[in-house]
This record gives sequence, structure tokens and C-alpha cells, in this order.
Amino acid sequence: MSQSLSEECTPLKRKYDACFNAWFEGYLEPAVSASVTPEQRTKFSQEKAAEFEKACGKIWQEYRECVQKAVKDKGLESLLSQARQSHPLKEAPPASHDPPRS
Amino acid sequence: MKFYSQSFLYDDPWSIVSLAYLLRYPNPYANHILSCDVISREVTPEGSLRTTRLILKKGSLPRWAPAGMIQRAESWVLEESEVDPLGKNMRCTTKNLDHVKVMRVEEHIHIRQAEDGKTLQTTEAMFLSGFGWGLTKKIENYGLAKFKANLQRSREGFFVILDLIRQSRMQPMTMGAPSSFLSHRSIAGPDAKPPAHHEVPAKGDSREDGASSPAPARRGYWARWKTWLGSG
Repeated sequence: MSQSLSEECTPLKRKYDACFNAWFEGYLEPAVSASVTPEQRTKFSQEKAAEFEKACGKIWQEYRECVQKAVKDKGLESLLSQARQSHPLKEAPPASHDPPRS
Repeated sequence: MKFYSQSFLYDDPWSIVSLAYLLRYPNPYANHILSCDVISREVTPEGSLRTTRLILKKGSLPRWAPAGMIQRAESWVLEESEVDPLGKNMRCTTKNLDHVKVMRVEEHIHIRQAEDGKTLQTTEAMFLSGFGWGLTKKIENYGLAKFKANLQRSREGFFVILDLIRQSRMQPMTMGAPSSFLSHRSIAGPDAKPPAHHEVPAKGDSREDGASSPAPARRGYWARWKTWLGSG
């Protein structure tokens, strides 16, 4: 469990996950509260992004490169780009009557 | 097309429910999750965290499925989430990437802060088959029935993670990493109330399962989870 889609990325994934989780716990409980101005939001965004980069940037880059390669090797790229374009709730595909593949 | 919708109210604060939701895999009830990877993640200029994950799930086919309806009983699932800690709002959409001609399943989760520090989760799912051959309706009904049957199990898994987080907040320990990022946090004292959760019937609700999950004593989950993670 807690596997990556590629075995060789799994150690990187575990390291990355541990780093991210620690950062994420703090991110979820910001010191500023609900009624923030757009400027405060921008400041918050920059601070959090910098904080993440400092703590986890390196491992994130290694892990991401590993996964990107694995996605390519497994031929999943086209599947991903198709999915990002389709919104079945908005545009229902026409009912198909093609014979099932056997 | 079939729809499903349900609401659920947690006594826990939004940050804990959202954390548990994003960390829900792996858990002992999710053996069907074969892999889970982050493929993109960014903090938006507005301060939200946007994440795309690619998940591989093991599936099973109904007995009546025609031979060759799908090539393999595994499915790639794309999960797109956006977390806004300032507005205490989180949305998550999952959808299958392959076998989409047989059936598309899309699930929308919305987790937001409710009154009295509680957290409301709404779940909506859609099942759409374009298979034809007089099987469209049967496939959609199967998808819905399967989803409902698995809901209790995925909720159990979610509660394991939720309890681990509650416990880690009571101990000087976070999810296996230094807590240096947590500038301030609400520590639940030893006399903290036991967790409670309530189901809220949603409009257009199609569920029959009225039982709310019991909250048994879950001492020792932390240790067990760690052992189990280590062996995994």
C-alpha cells in the first residue's frame, strides 16, 4: 500500500508524502481568519508556497519527475489529456450502439 | 443517468476533516487502492491548494457482464481537489479515466465549515453509461448499487484516518513528521468529548441505509496503523 504507480517512485513518494503532510497540517490552520482581503490572500499564498518550496521543493521535484516518466512509460498521457477536456456533467455523450469489443 | 447524493455532519473542525480526507489512502479498508500519485499540485494566487492525483483502483465485474466488456478489472481514477483554508472550503471531484464507454462515474465532494465548529460534507455521484445493447440502465444501476454498498466501507476507512489525526492532536506527535509548520493548533484535552457524527438526509436522497456508523473505542489505532504502513 501507499504505492506509487511505478515501484521505483515509491520511496520518493513516501518521502514526499511525509514532507507534504507536515506542511499541509499547518497550511490548513492559517493564522489569518475568514474575512481576508485579496491582498492578504496573495500574501498568504506567497508565504505558503515559499514555505513548501523550502521544506519539500527538492523531494517534490524528484518525485514528480519520476511519476511523469512513469506516466509516459505506461502510455497514460493521452488518457489524462482526454479526461481533462471532458466534462460529462455538462455535455452528456450521445448514447452509443457500437458492438462491445470482444 | 443515475444520481446519488448524501450529506454528513461531523463534530470535528473543518481542518481536521479536510486533512483526513486528503490523507484517506492508505487505510485498512482501502485494499482496492493499488496506487495513488500526485501528478500536479500548486498554491493558487488566491491561496488555495489545487491538487491532481492519479489513482489506480482494483475493480470487479458483475456476473452478467458480457465477455470482453472491459479488458481488465482495474481502473485509473483522476482526483482533482481544491482546498481553501481561508474560506474553510474544500471541493474534490473524482472520475474514472478508462472504461468510460461502459460507464462514467463522477463523484463530487464538498467539505465546508458549518455552525458551532462542525463540518458538513456533501457527496454527489453520477453514473452514466453509453454502452447500449439494452444494458445501459443495468450498468448504471449496478454502478449505483455498488457505490452505495462500498460507501460504508470507505467511511470506516475514513474514520480510521480521522481518529489517527484526533489522537495525534492529543499527543505531541503529528503524522510522522516534525510539527514545525503548525504555528498554533487547537489541542483537544484529555477530557475531550468522544467523536460523534450525524447523517443529514439530503434532498433527492436515494439512499436506504439509515444507520449511522457507531463510534467504538479506537485506542491503539495509531500504533496499528504505523505497523500496518510499515508492512505495506
